[in-house]
Amino acid sequence: MATEESFKRIIDMLVELKDTSELMMDLAYSSILYNSKELAQEVHVLEEHMDNLHTEFELLVLARCIKPEESKHFLGLIRLGVVTEKIADAAAQIADVVLRGLEPHPVLKLAIKEAEETVTHVHVSEKSALAGKSLQEAQVHEETGMWVLAVKRGDKWIRPKPDTIIEAGDLLIASGYTEGEEDLKKLASNERHKHHESKL
Amino acid sequence: MTRLEKIKYKPVPVRELLIKMKDLSELMIDLAYSAALFNSRPLAEEVIELEKQVDTLAYQLDMSAMLAARDAKDAESLVGVTVVAAATDKISDAAGDIATIVLREIGIHPIVIKAFKKMEEQLTKVETKPNSVLVGKRLAELELAAKMGVDIIAIRRDKECIVNPKENEMIKKGDIITARGAPRGVEGFEKLAEGIVQKLES
Repeated sequence: MATEESFKRIIDMLVELKDTSELMMDLAYSSILYNSKELAQEVHVLEEHMDNLHTEFELLVLARCIKPEESKHFLGLIRLGVVTEKIADAAAQIADVVLRGLEPHPVLKLAIKEAEETVTHVHVSEKSALAGKSLQEAQVHEETGMWVLAVKRGDKWIRPKPDTIIEAGDLLIASGYTEGEEDLKKLASNERHKHHESKL
Repeated sequence: MTRLEKIKYKPVPVRELLIKMKDLSELMIDLAYSAALFNSRPLAEEVIELEKQVDTLAYQLDMSAMLAARDAKDAESLVGVTVVAAATDKISDAAGDIATIVLREIGIHPIVIKAFKKMEEQLTKVETKPNSVLVGKRLAELELAAKMGVDIIAIRRDKECIVNPKENEMIKKGDIITARGAPRGVEGFEKLAEGIVQKLES
């Protein structure tokens, strides 16, 4: 691999590690809120993904011929990678409470609700106005106030970017205020016309 | 010898402690990444300061949780609370690790900084000087978001840290303020807090 190319790959991976670790935290808190083993399981799927990614990331950094004067900067990179892993571990620890079948204490749910917005998931139907649009075009946040945290397509998790195309059959995980939840559900099902009416 | 603050039990509800820990840990991660990207010592130092607060909260939460358990069923139910609190503590430690990258002058490769610059927003930490126009004003009257695109995300006063302060919160002299915004707005805000600029323009 050319030097520049490997560098770009390293950076992309670091960005993905960071984003994934943050997504895992959101999902972990949601798993508690819903007492959902399914969401908790997703945290574990992501953790495995993180483990692989992190190893690949470290190998790629080590494979570079690092000049002595650059070594500190690359150490900084490696440490950032370790931090994302630590955050991922913390998320898994939270999700484990649910997987171990401990009914989350009401205080826990209250704290998550009061500290944060709600989290929900919706399936995108074939007739949905969202299908075939990029996230940017779909304007989910503008229409519903919900932020799309993650897209699950088949077995794959996608951390959404503005140009990510939403496909029919996608599962969207979103966070935001409760009022937006209904709007998002309508948007993801087939009520194409409600899409604009919701603004009125 | 390392000196650590002696921790005494305080009758604070578990819920309150947990919300505080969660909010602080999330704030710290934002601060820490920002400190690393902008190679900012003040932000990194703030992270370390908050890490101490989270440590203290973790002890207090454990004590309160222990006192709240009356029987085995309570204990089973409450253990999840302490596990989640421990996770927020871990996250605050992780933020501390990022801060250490800055404080030990290890630094981050400059190209990474470019890659992360999609984060157009910048964070800053500034202490309000007695002659600052901000002192004695409530957030609602300042309208910082509308006027300069700056959001105050935390105020540290004495040993308290207020995360996401409410609109009626009043700024006092000596407050350590963490704010977020576009680089130009942030720069303007720093000057207001330091009393260099006396007029809040709209």
